[in-house]
Amino acid sequence: MNLNLYMKDFKRYRISLIGWCVIISMIIFVTMSIYPILMESDAIENLKMFFENSFMKTIMAAFGASVDSITNILGYYVGNNSKNALIFGNIFSILLSSRIISREENEKTAEFLLSKPLTRYNIFISKFLAYLSMLLIFNIVLVLSGYISLEIFKNEDYSYKAFFIISFYSFLSMLTFGMIGMLISLLFKRGKAIMGISIGIIISCYFIFAISNITESIDVFGYISPFKFVNSDVLNPNYGIEWWRVSYFMVLSTISFVIAYIKYKNKDILI
Amino acid sequence: MGVIEINKLTKYYGKSLGIIDIDLEIEKGEIFGFIGPNGAGKSTTIRTLLNLIYPTSGSAKIFGLDVVKDSKEIKKNIGFMPSEVNYYDYMRVRELLYYSARFYGKNCDERIDALSKMFSLDLNKKIYDLSFGNRKKISILQSLIHKPKLLILDEPTSGLDPLMQAKYFEILNEENARGTTIFFSSHVLNEVQKLCKRVAIIKDGRIIKVENIENITGKQFKKIKLDMKNIEQIKLLNTNEIYNMSNNENICNFLYSGDINNILKEISNMELNNLTIEEPTLEEIFMHYYQ
Repeated sequence: MNLNLYMKDFKRYRISLIGWCVIISMIIFVTMSIYPILMESDAIENLKMFFENSFMKTIMAAFGASVDSITNILGYYVGNNSKNALIFGNIFSILLSSRIISREENEKTAEFLLSKPLTRYNIFISKFLAYLSMLLIFNIVLVLSGYISLEIFKNEDYSYKAFFIISFYSFLSMLTFGMIGMLISLLFKRGKAIMGISIGIIISCYFIFAISNITESIDVFGYISPFKFVNSDVLNPNYGIEWWRVSYFMVLSTISFVIAYIKYKNKDILI
Repeated sequence: MGVIEINKLTKYYGKSLGIIDIDLEIEKGEIFGFIGPNGAGKSTTIRTLLNLIYPTSGSAKIFGLDVVKDSKEIKKNIGFMPSEVNYYDYMRVRELLYYSARFYGKNCDERIDALSKMFSLDLNKKIYDLSFGNRKKISILQSLIHKPKLLILDEPTSGLDPLMQAKYFEILNEENARGTTIFFSSHVLNEVQKLCKRVAIIKDGRIIKVENIENITGKQFKKIKLDMKNIEQIKLLNTNEIYNMSNNENICNFLYSGDINNILKEISNMELNNLTIEEPTLEEIFMHYYQ
């Protein structure tokens, strides 16, 4: 790794990182702050009848939630986690990873960078570590925001273990999509249209995951999407780390990482 | 062993030819020019030397090291100035130069200050706010601040005003006096003539000539203008060493590269209104190679 390059990239994206962290914290805090209001009023009882409707059950299933789950503070958090961590967090991850290398070519600074005494490996690893550092910071902020919100707004105890496990799965999904984004940015000549493709991947995968939750008969198709491997059944007494899910994320991330590196190492940098 | 040794270097972009069978050797301490028309393969050659692109076949060495396998080691002692000047717009000039210097593990603060004063470059300005000429100055500085052993320059003076060009040539000569080898590509034949001892001419991806500058300028070519009484007399010229012939009414212009006595014998058989023999400009000589 080259520390000079790592620090340059870390500083370059720090404003964007701060912005995303502030936004995600606010979203989590605001959505969690609604929970005690829902619980104290009759709103949830009135809503229960509404949510018993088969259409609404379908919608909630698509987001990995149910009427019973959202009346539990952790279940309510996870129901929103689908939106906050999985969609926003993965968009943050894939946008960052898909730009951090390809941007040098897009903005034509690659000629300057590659004329310095650096190997392709130095450059790739430095940029990957800069991306990983920012992803970790984002997830720390996400977890802290979630934890603080849960502690402030809880009306009952909840499983800390389940909270950290779901956060861990969310992080793994972000890392996996990040590596996929990095690979995709290197497959395209000069990194064009990466932003649209990256967001499109997240939305498409989430859509497949959501549709697969609606009914058991199409449940298996959901496994096309990495989101399906995030187990959000936090209220299940047997909820724990399932190593086959973790292995899926690690294997997919590693394969994407290795192919991305090979591609970058052998690429002609054309300005 | 030359500083740069290029052996049958070939690069295809898919099916399109970039360069083919390039053989060149540049000696230590030389200022070597590399000229050719647009699309000839100058930038392809330079980018292959810097391992920005990979050769299809052939090889190249710099300081005796392979340009692909030992790229990092080579680049510790290279200063590269690209033809296009693209830097990180959000940085200030000072920030970029310090960032560049850190890659070489050297303290270049004094040199940055000295060169920035020499080229009147404001170190506190944001790169985004700079003109092309000022960005070119950044390019000059970042190639020089770490005192490299080899300078590779691609169109170095485009965008510089005449005063800055003069200062830049002064710097290049100082660097060369210090032992720095300079390899540069250019369209500006005037600067090639001023700086270089040897030059390679590339066209359609191939080296067509490597020659000492003094052999090309003046000693070999003569520019001859014949104002004839009858243009039909042109048939009396039988030599093969005539280039770039153009006829306008009774006037015939051409470059001649052979023995002056031979052409004078042939001209003496003609009836002329006027005869002009002069030294051609470098542009006129090289246009012959460019076509």
